[in-house]
Amino acid sequence: MSAGQAVFSGWMEIADKAEYDETRQHAEEAALAALVSQYAGTLYRVAYSVLRNSADAEDAVQEAFLRVLRHRDTLHEVRDQRVWLIRIVWNVVLDRKRRSKTRPETDDVAELARVLPAGGLNAEERAAAAQHHAHVLSCVEQLPTKERQVLMLSAFEELTSVEIASVLGITESSVRSRLFRARNLMAGLLDHERSVR
Amino acid sequence: MNSSTQNPFAGNPGSSEFEDTLRLIASLPAPEGLEERVEDGLRRAPHRARILQWPVAWRLESAWVRTAAAAAIVFVVVGGGWGISSRVQPPQSIRAVTVLPHVSAQGGFSSAGAMRTPQTLNGPVVTHPATTPQAQTKVAASARAKTPARHGKSVPAKNPSAPTPPLN
Repeated sequence: MSAGQAVFSGWMEIADKAEYDETRQHAEEAALAALVSQYAGTLYRVAYSVLRNSADAEDAVQEAFLRVLRHRDTLHEVRDQRVWLIRIVWNVVLDRKRRSKTRPETDDVAELARVLPAGGLNAEERAAAAQHHAHVLSCVEQLPTKERQVLMLSAFEELTSVEIASVLGITESSVRSRLFRARNLMAGLLDHERSVR
Repeated sequence: MNSSTQNPFAGNPGSSEFEDTLRLIASLPAPEGLEERVEDGLRRAPHRARILQWPVAWRLESAWVRTAAAAAIVFVVVGGGWGISSRVQPPQSIRAVTVLPHVSAQGGFSSAGAMRTPQTLNGPVVTHPATTPQAQTKVAASARAKTPARHGKSVPAKNPSAPTPPLN
């Protein structure tokens, strides 16, 4: 084969590769769109449970999918995409929480009163329920980080203890022991609050 | 699914009020249009940077244009390299320079192979070297040592013209 032919065949290979890349890009975009439609709601709820703000939670979901976009080449290698996505959004949310200043409790009450379902409740009862939920959440904030994280993730019914362990990168027995401690601490905190009142 | 892999809150008879609150928040519905907004954001996000992106009009259909472009690139690179190499002279090999050691003709200290010596002021020139009495004694002693010792015996001269003593 002459040098000219070699160069020409090389350029033909580049053309074939460009076509292959375009096809692969379409496939990756379709896979990503499927992930968004399937798991955006779950990721939003996980983000909201920590950030407790609709706009922030939506931003966190967006950022999580942008991280997925950057690693879409390895998307097919992920074994459990749901847990993988929850882990990504969990890290995003923790980063944001760390960066942002502590929000006052009154903001939580207002946000909860806005988003919580108001089936059969009048305005006064709704405000009282929001107040109660905000109070519970402030007690959750007083827990040690490890216990708090397990407690918050365990509230998601679609997550098993194995999946929670996978998201947090710990063993399942650690999840159970931390959850046990978190429950005891929460009971103590709520009792203490009641006795003070 | 066995019990160990279930949700730790599920089926817990002692579920308290705080767990109800957390579960309520965890089950909040996502806002409407979230998926569309996220997909729009992903579409607007910059895609991966490509190392070499050909113009759309030049794709696939015109392979000869790319061949010509490649040839032009090769020509420029080779020509530039040749131009540089033809202008730059190869470095000359370093030659060893031998310098004879400077030896003072009038004695004194040698230069110890120094490449350069500082300019110093000329001192007084000594025309007749001064000799000390000790030095004179040494010179005389050495001169005596060079002459053979006689020890009181005369050595007959082997002169053929001298008169020989009479034989008895």
